[in-house]
Amino acid sequence: MIIMQNRNRAESWREGMSRWLRFGDLPLRYKLVILFLMVGILPSIALSVLVNWTVNRIVDQQVTSNTIQLIGKVNQTLDNDMENLQNITYLIGFDPRTERFLNGEIQGDKPAVGTEDTGDSGPRTASVKQDNTENYEIKRYLQGFTTLYPEIASILLVNREGEYISNEMYARSPASLTEEEWYREAVLNEGIFTVLGHPAERNVTTHVHYGNEELVSVVRSIVDPDTREVTGAVLIDLKLRAVARAVRDVTLGKSGYLMVAEAGGSSIYAPEDSIIPSIPPSWFPEEDSGALIREVNGERLQLIYGTSSFTGWRTIGVFPTSETVYEVREIRFYMICFLFVVCLFGVAASYTLSQSISRPIWQLMSFMQKAESGDLTTRYWGNRQDEVGMLGRSFNRMLLQIRKLMKLSELREKQKREAELRSLQAHIKPHFLYNTLDTIHWMARKKGADDVSDLVESLSRLFRIGLSKGDDIIPMSDEWTHISSYLQIQKTRYRDRLQVEMELSPEAEKLYVLKLLLQPIVENAIYHGIKARRGPGRIVIKAQVNGDVLLLSVQDNGAGMSSDRLEALRKQLADPVTAMEATPGEGLGGSRSYGMLNVQARIKLTFGDEYGITIDSTENEGTTVVITHPLVHAVPSSSDHDGRDRL
Amino acid sequence: MKKMMLVYGALLLAFFTYVFMYRLEDKRSSAWEEGGLHGSMGENYVMVTFQSGMEYWKNILKGFEDGGDALGVTVDYRGSTQYDVEEQITVLEQVIAKKPAGIALSAIDSKALTSTINKAVDAGIPVVLFDADAPDSKAYSFLATNNYNAGVAAADKMAQLLGREGEIGIVTQPGQQNHDDRSEGFRDTLEQRYPGMSVVEIREGKGDTLVAKEAAADMLDKHPDLKGIFVTEASGGMGVADAVIGADKANRITIIGFDTNKGTLDRISDGTIAATIAQGTWNMGYWSLQYLFHLHHGLTVPAPTLGNDVSPLPTRVDTGISIVTRENVNDYYAK
Repeated sequence: MIIMQNRNRAESWREGMSRWLRFGDLPLRYKLVILFLMVGILPSIALSVLVNWTVNRIVDQQVTSNTIQLIGKVNQTLDNDMENLQNITYLIGFDPRTERFLNGEIQGDKPAVGTEDTGDSGPRTASVKQDNTENYEIKRYLQGFTTLYPEIASILLVNREGEYISNEMYARSPASLTEEEWYREAVLNEGIFTVLGHPAERNVTTHVHYGNEELVSVVRSIVDPDTREVTGAVLIDLKLRAVARAVRDVTLGKSGYLMVAEAGGSSIYAPEDSIIPSIPPSWFPEEDSGALIREVNGERLQLIYGTSSFTGWRTIGVFPTSETVYEVREIRFYMICFLFVVCLFGVAASYTLSQSISRPIWQLMSFMQKAESGDLTTRYWGNRQDEVGMLGRSFNRMLLQIRKLMKLSELREKQKREAELRSLQAHIKPHFLYNTLDTIHWMARKKGADDVSDLVESLSRLFRIGLSKGDDIIPMSDEWTHISSYLQIQKTRYRDRLQVEMELSPEAEKLYVLKLLLQPIVENAIYHGIKARRGPGRIVIKAQVNGDVLLLSVQDNGAGMSSDRLEALRKQLADPVTAMEATPGEGLGGSRSYGMLNVQARIKLTFGDEYGITIDSTENEGTTVVITHPLVHAVPSSSDHDGRDRL
Repeated sequence: MKKMMLVYGALLLAFFTYVFMYRLEDKRSSAWEEGGLHGSMGENYVMVTFQSGMEYWKNILKGFEDGGDALGVTVDYRGSTQYDVEEQITVLEQVIAKKPAGIALSAIDSKALTSTINKAVDAGIPVVLFDADAPDSKAYSFLATNNYNAGVAAADKMAQLLGREGEIGIVTQPGQQNHDDRSEGFRDTLEQRYPGMSVVEIREGKGDTLVAKEAAADMLDKHPDLKGIFVTEASGGMGVADAVIGADKANRITIIGFDTNKGTLDRISDGTIAATIAQGTWNMGYWSLQYLFHLHHGLTVPAPTLGNDVSPLPTRVDTGISIVTRENVNDYYAK
């Protein structure tokens, strides 16, 4: 099972690999499109992601640190407010009238002064009459604070008997104020200023309808410096507006806000549309300030908070994380817009560019395919100046060259065939001639005409070698015999006018050569050199091996030729085939050069351009013709030869 | 090329969808700011009074603050600390210098403050008056108890309580428009409707309990047949009550006070004060701020208009009164 799985995995891997490899087989156009898109769009996406991430991170940091700073400032403001209240409680405590009130020397108001004791105000009237002035003064004094600080809703001064003096507050029910929670708290804290938060279930109220949630109350007990006894307490109600004023103006991001919560977690101030009404204090770590993320009602909130050491209140910045900071959102928006624009341009650009590159290549390819299928007349049309254009022009030149070469090789083939036919023809007649000559030879010998017999024998040998069973390549010794016979005949004709020297080196003798190489050259030497000279002439014929070539030289001391003529002859020799075509119709040996051109052509066609005839001549001094021939050690076997033998 | 167009179409479609979604989200996330009138935190409306620590203002201030909270603007409370015209002018000048979005003013002295009020209006700061008017000023609106009517109501109540006859004294603050109106309404009504009754003396109480107490005591001495005292403001009412108690004439002198501070309510509960006129103080503050807000934002045509437009903003608003007696006094205590 495992092996199966492995095999499957291997297969799928191979498949993936081959798919990847097949990418190399994709048309150029797609490759280019993919390339351009990768070059253009991938970096843009990467850049956008990077920028977005960085901006997010930085803005996040900034927001957090700014918010913490802001919270610090807000806390400072709140602390200042609270310190002011603290100062007021001290100031009230310092007042001598306060002291007298707390000691019971000035009568304060009592709870239950309200609706119950109607009618019998008689007993009270006297004391009212006495104390009212000072009571009133204290009230005025307290009222002075609310004049200066409109944010103070009310101030209440209470002594340990439960009597109170206030500018606005009064007791609701007869229960003693000393039983109140806030009073006990004040006593417990012995002269330390205490922030109570929103008042709740108090027996005191004001005539102005401030709700409990609209107030923050603070309290401080007043301690007798000598006895360390708590003589009373000052209760101040601060309008929540004072807190809200510092907090409310702050908007964090788009929908973030600040709220203030007590150490116990219940909120002092939160905007009306706040997401969470209260935050459990267990959420917050020990630190005085920091940031944390919590989920509330399925919404993730980031909370940045700072704690005031004076009030113990926590000021908390609340943001929904889903709607990060607005600016970042805007940056992201523009980034995505940018990406879209890049995509639009990128797609168009990659499409056009890949088209412009791949289309001409494709065109060229189709031309090439046409040429490949044999139509060499096809041409690349277009005048592009880029690489493809150059390639196209090279292609055109190449086609031209090919056509030219093909024509040339066709011509050569034709000439070779013609030459072969001609030599075949030449072979047919000599056979008969040779046989006849043999007959003449024997007849001359019978009749004792030895000179005739010798001449005819030479002629017969000449023809025999000339024919040489149709072979193109013959042993050097045969060629040598052939040229000897030829010279013997010529000697018979020219007698003393012609002196011949022949030199065949032993290693040259074993070689093979193209047949009838020397005869046309020697003929030329005789007819154009010696015959044109006055007096006897001399021809030196040499065959020797020089390095890896066989050199056959024919040197005469005949008439030679002018340098112009020599030049012309050399030019003809350079391109023998064309030269022969230019002088058609002339028989063998008719023209001075035809035989030589024939030899030259045969050598070059057989062995290549590095072999052939070189000619050198000086007027009135003679001509030297050297044939450079490769060393051929054996007759190359050819099936043709058998066919020719039969002729 | 066709494929190309397809790709383009898809891209553009995606793009526009994205932009649309973005805008949609934009609207959604800013939705909570919309809905109803809403000002900015930077808008600061100031309420200016005199004797700013006085309990009487607290309810008006509460209305003003509630109005500010409702509209999401900030409010400030300023005022002269004393009963002092010059100080209030100084305070008002200071407030104007800060260029608030609007000023709600209770004029301590209608004539002395007119030029300063005009200065504020000329500076483009809307001003409405409450409680105490300055009729010659350019202030846009006046929200107050119709004090003359309140005086009439007080007179009717007094007549009802006294059986339509007897000598009456008035403790008031002469020169202050609202108090003058109250006194006038009171006196006119007695003269016109109750020939058996007469105002024998008008004393100045200065809005202070002690001053009023002395004035009342003096009055009681001078007029032993005095049957009733009408006090045009709250602090004076308590002073007068104290004076009556001091003269051992409690329950024999019918006191009609004004406003419903704790002291007055207590005196009504124990029967020393027979009745008091409760004003719609919260209304004054609340609607002052609303008017200022509308004026500041150009949501209304200020009166008086030059054209024939009927100003939607009334130049005078009666914030209403009710008479508090021992029967209904419990309703006026804070709950």
